[in-house]
Amino acid sequence: MLNDLDPLLHSQLRLGIMSLLISLESAEFIFLREKTNSTAGNLSVQLDKLSEAGYIKIEKSFKGKKPLTTCKITRKGIKAFEDYVNTLKQYIHK
Amino acid sequence: METNSEKLSAQQSLDIIADMIDQAKGSVQQNSFYFLLWGWTILIANLGMFSLIKLHYEYPYAIWLITIPPWLYSLYQGYNRDGSAKSVTHLGKITVWLWLSFGIVIFTLVVFGYQINFHLNPVILVVSAMPTLLSGIVIKFKPLIVGGIVFWVMGIICFMVPTDIQYLVGALAILGGYIIPGYMLKTKQA
Repeated sequence: MLNDLDPLLHSQLRLGIMSLLISLESAEFIFLREKTNSTAGNLSVQLDKLSEAGYIKIEKSFKGKKPLTTCKITRKGIKAFEDYVNTLKQYIHK
Repeated sequence: METNSEKLSAQQSLDIIADMIDQAKGSVQQNSFYFLLWGWTILIANLGMFSLIKLHYEYPYAIWLITIPPWLYSLYQGYNRDGSAKSVTHLGKITVWLWLSFGIVIFTLVVFGYQINFHLNPVILVVSAMPTLLSGIVIKFKPLIVGGIVFWVMGIICFMVPTDIQYLVGALAILGGYIIPGYMLKTKQA
């Protein structure tokens, strides 16, 4: 069931990340970790997957001496998210 | 959250999306600090200007030098960004750029003011109405919306009174536009 859905988005954590980022201009790693209630390691892996697919852009910088990771959704990511939601609608209307 | 994707139903997917969008919504953070910093600075400058004119001091404009430290501080803070901001909403970004462009407009008016003999007071008040009102709308905070209207009304009054009185009108506008809403915002946040 639901096998037409983008497998990259059809995962709890990745879908959570994308849903947060679609509503925001940008979000820090810590913010995403708190909101999705995930572990740093797992979040890191999922962010890399989304970034490799070109769905999000990850920027690494420094805030004082602390490393700062900021994530932003890309146009491709927005398109993928919209397609995912549209497919989801079809399943629900069936 | 798990990464397990095997048993995610359509309803579960929808729930995640709705829940996360809800989490991200929040409110645009607005700091009362800037309203109070600028409110008091401009209030003192306006009243100082009025007093110095009345005292027939040769360079009453010198009082505006007190705005330099807040400028530097605001620029420094803007450059360093707000340390507590872990996410930026679309409206939040627009608000920052709104105030930044307002700063540039005011700066331009002040620098080229000599071209129109520094008849700037009413113009500055009317222009100040816009970011104040819009910030009030963005953070859904009525006193700030009223503050924007106060700026606009005081700007109109300012067009109709003599130059020295304009500084008193300016002081009143700042009181109603920044200082009172600033303290109300501070109380609300506390």
